[in-house]
Amino acid sequence: MLKSLALIAPALIPSWRFFDRITASPRIEFARMAQEDDPATGATGATGWREFRPRPQSLSPAALLRRLFWNPAWNETLFLTSCAERLLEKPTAHSIDEISARIAGGLDPRAGGPFFRFRLVLVSREGEALQKEVVYVSSPYSMTER
Amino acid sequence: MIASLPVLSFDTAQRVTEILLALAFLQQSLEHLRAAAKERNLFVLRIALCILLLTGMASLWATAGLALLSLVILHRFQGPYNGGSDRMGLLILFCLCLSHAAPNQTWREVALGYLALQLTLSYLISGWVKIVNPDWRSGRALRDVFAFSAYPVCEDFRSIARHPRLVFAGSWTVMLFELVFPVTLLHPAALIAGLSIAALFHLANAILFGLNRFFWVWLAAYPSIFWFQQRVFF
Repeated sequence: MLKSLALIAPALIPSWRFFDRITASPRIEFARMAQEDDPATGATGATGWREFRPRPQSLSPAALLRRLFWNPAWNETLFLTSCAERLLEKPTAHSIDEISARIAGGLDPRAGGPFFRFRLVLVSREGEALQKEVVYVSSPYSMTER
Repeated sequence: MIASLPVLSFDTAQRVTEILLALAFLQQSLEHLRAAAKERNLFVLRIALCILLLTGMASLWATAGLALLSLVILHRFQGPYNGGSDRMGLLILFCLCLSHAAPNQTWREVALGYLALQLTLSYLISGWVKIVNPDWRSGRALRDVFAFSAYPVCEDFRSIARHPRLVFAGSWTVMLFELVFPVTLLHPAALIAGLSIAALFHLANAILFGLNRFFWVWLAAYPSIFWFQQRVFF
């Protein structure tokens, strides 16, 4: 009951503080692995990482118009960004499971190893330059178990 | 001028809000039909309730059912799926539900009036929190949104960050519009103009940042403010 109230209260008494300050933004990256304990993608590894659902270079006016009515992948990406922010603020199994399950669901099982990790990269501005910092690396996941 | 404008009755405002909200929820729910079974089933049920709401035959039960289901969906995602747009949708839904369940006309009007008030605040507070921030006043914040936030839908749109004058003008246009919006309540033509600009603002956000759900759900709150203006100011 208290949990339900906590979830519904921000909708009934909204803060409306949209974009009040622009903070570092998380990106989700993943790496496929042939073995569960592949050291190359561990906490210090730096190889094989790719951004999950990178945005396209450009979109045609027709595609932009279509997305006004049908935009499931992008809205799911925004939800995963929220999960990443929640994970960094207060890690929960829910956030980790949502991100890992949706990454697994979006990968072709035949296009890489049977295991994967994901990591969160915070993008921020320092002066005029953008900087990236790896702030979270997940445990390995098996694609066949999901 | 004021006398020539059509009067929007409470019942009409309530009904148009229901229809627009049902359509907005349908658009959102259809996007979840590609999800895994448990998630999909929740939204299949939501689609059925939206269709019931569209018919107008059992609006109280449809809104009550949607409100209960919304709680289940909030638990499923441990919060809103799409932040502010989901929260505005829930606000409209609960206000509609209360406007049907309230014991008399006064409380029914309070429920719809609360929605109109929150719609006004959604612009006013958004403008205020920006204008008190030096980064927004200098254009830096909006440049950052384009440069590295998760929102621009394609890489080409990130290049907007390299046009500081354009971004500066955009920042001040947004802030001033949001802050001035409540003044549009003082005249019917001003409100029509204000809501038209607001709709264009949401459309721009949908195109640049992929926030399509904001566009549809904010439109659903507009009938309440038309009714509210006539009820309170004229």
